[in-house]
Amino acid sequence: MTVQVGTVYLLASLGEIYAERSGILNLGLEGIMVMGAAISFIFTLAYGHLAAILASIIVGILMSLILAVMAIYMRLNQTVTGLALTMFGLGLSGFLASPEIRRIILLALNPSLPERLLAIQEAPKLPEIPVPGLSEIPVIGCFFRQNVLVYISYMAAPLMWFILFKTKPGLSLRSVGENPAAADAMGINVFKLRCAATMISGGFAGLAGAYLFLGFQPFWQEGLTAGKGFIALSLVILSTWNPLKAILGAYLFGGVEVIQYRLQLFGLGALSPYLLAMLPYLIAIAALIAVSIESVRKRIGVPASLGIPYSREE
Amino acid sequence: MPFTLETRLGRIRVERRVGYGRLYSISMTLLSLAIALLVAGLILASLGLDPVAAFQVIFGVFMKPSLLLESIKQSIPICLAALGLSIAFKMNFWNIGAEGQLYMGMIASTGIVLLHSYYGLFNEWAIMPLMLLASFLLGGAWCLIAGALKARLGVNEILPTLMLNYVAMLVVEFLVHGPWRDPKGYGFPLSIPFPDYAKLNFVFGEPAYTGLLLSVLGAAAVFLLLEYTKPGFEIKVVGQSPAVARYAGIRVRRTILLGSFLSGGLAGIGGLSIVSGIIGRLRPGASPGYGYTAIMVAALAGLNPWVVIVASIFFGGLLTAGGALQMSMGIPRAAAQMIQAIIFLMILVGEFIKRYKIVLEKPGVSGS
Repeated sequence: MTVQVGTVYLLASLGEIYAERSGILNLGLEGIMVMGAAISFIFTLAYGHLAAILASIIVGILMSLILAVMAIYMRLNQTVTGLALTMFGLGLSGFLASPEIRRIILLALNPSLPERLLAIQEAPKLPEIPVPGLSEIPVIGCFFRQNVLVYISYMAAPLMWFILFKTKPGLSLRSVGENPAAADAMGINVFKLRCAATMISGGFAGLAGAYLFLGFQPFWQEGLTAGKGFIALSLVILSTWNPLKAILGAYLFGGVEVIQYRLQLFGLGALSPYLLAMLPYLIAIAALIAVSIESVRKRIGVPASLGIPYSREE
Repeated sequence: MPFTLETRLGRIRVERRVGYGRLYSISMTLLSLAIALLVAGLILASLGLDPVAAFQVIFGVFMKPSLLLESIKQSIPICLAALGLSIAFKMNFWNIGAEGQLYMGMIASTGIVLLHSYYGLFNEWAIMPLMLLASFLLGGAWCLIAGALKARLGVNEILPTLMLNYVAMLVVEFLVHGPWRDPKGYGFPLSIPFPDYAKLNFVFGEPAYTGLLLSVLGAAAVFLLLEYTKPGFEIKVVGQSPAVARYAGIRVRRTILLGSFLSGGLAGIGGLSIVSGIIGRLRPGASPGYGYTAIMVAALAGLNPWVVIVASIFFGGLLTAGGALQMSMGIPRAAAQMIQAIIFLMILVGEFIKRYKIVLEKPGVSGS
């Protein structure tokens, strides 16, 4: 369970780490995730799981391109632009996945769909694929009885760590986020690299949305991400922009949510489920405070140019 | 060196535009608005819906008196929250938490009503002033959490204010499912309906006018604060450069605390206007995202309190149009939210075009 919830956060924060390392704060994460969920819902009904996952990644990349163009090339305020993107994603996903519009889209995508599928609010869940052998080990076996996207997240985290810290493109990416002018002088194309990093974050956010819907709760609800994108943003800070530490953080938040579900099941005395549901948000704030205190002490690094548009003029 | 982009057509160069008039600025904003509506129309048309009819419904909202009144009513919480945000944004304090601060204002107002109806503590004439005060204080306190974290511990305010939105919504859920549930409400998660003395209708017996009065008073207060008082001046200096503020002897931390408190407080009063002007009781989801719309309004109005009033009425109208679209054309409510966001994105792009001009150089012509 912990892994199942944690994967949502892990996928979303992996991409966001790249964007922020390059100096771009993608506050559109929440909106891209919810769009990923909506698109995966529609495409699963029309064409099945694989098409749905690919479509949500593509839509995520396209949406992040809006942010890339506005924040990198037009040098608009990243906070405002990101929020606008989140609102756009929330509105558009609610619009596209609403029963009336969904019906029109589904019929356009696949006219042979039976009437039953045009009206349902849920989609088939991604199947779990146990890894032979590994899944039978006690205790850690549960890590290997998951769906394919969870396995992808296992592989993506170390791979993205390796690229970021051990390869030349990774070094360029980090230098662009620390000191774009110096990187530019070294012949690195700041604009292109930031654009690529933003698109990576969009692709992963789209995938995270698809996973949230197909792998975890395949019921459509407007705004079903409920702030998970924003929690992922705090997680990126908690992980100090390191993909490997993001694994721990993601499972920590996954664990918190599972504890909350469990406590609800046991009906823990008078504790209201609504109070328990606050836990992830409060822990996210606590994590931000802890990192902030810690970073003053150890001077651990916010990418120095995070949120600052780069321009050669100035 | 200006920013250039090499393309096959030639070289596209982006140059900073030096100085532009107000008329140019306004016409660019209107142009962005028109383009946004065009984009929204294209989306509707591509799905086989009639965009012309949809826009007739949307603009019809501003023509029909009853719907216009409804739009003004809807604009009050947006306006008050956006006025608060204008203070915060002037201070470069990214308060994304107006939504939560609205909910806190609703909770405070409802709390006063409940206190009175259970214990009869106050005179009836004192209820509304007390509600105003309580909603201001609680909304302010909610934003002050993030303000204090920033001032004391250097925590960036964006994520804490966002997180507190979700927490505030859950506090409302908790209250109306639990201790504040109306005993005569058949188990629905609602508070008791507000009695008449707790309703916002003392101008012509109409919440829209009363709210509009609140908006205008709020705008005047923010205008006076920012333009004519010392704390307002300090807020602006801190926003432009904390270093300069420190050199000038401004107590930066205290200013952040004050600014964030005032910002949340105004949103808190916006919350009051929801429960006692629009709905008449507390219920979950009482705000359909007024606090987020307020961010748009504050940004689009260029943080000018008077323009905020006009922009809020426009977005209040769009919100009203959402309901009208659903009723008359079966277009889902979310369409209004989508159109809102497209307008926001387009006007941001318009800001860019205002500030820069794009020069296309034909190949062969040598660049500067």
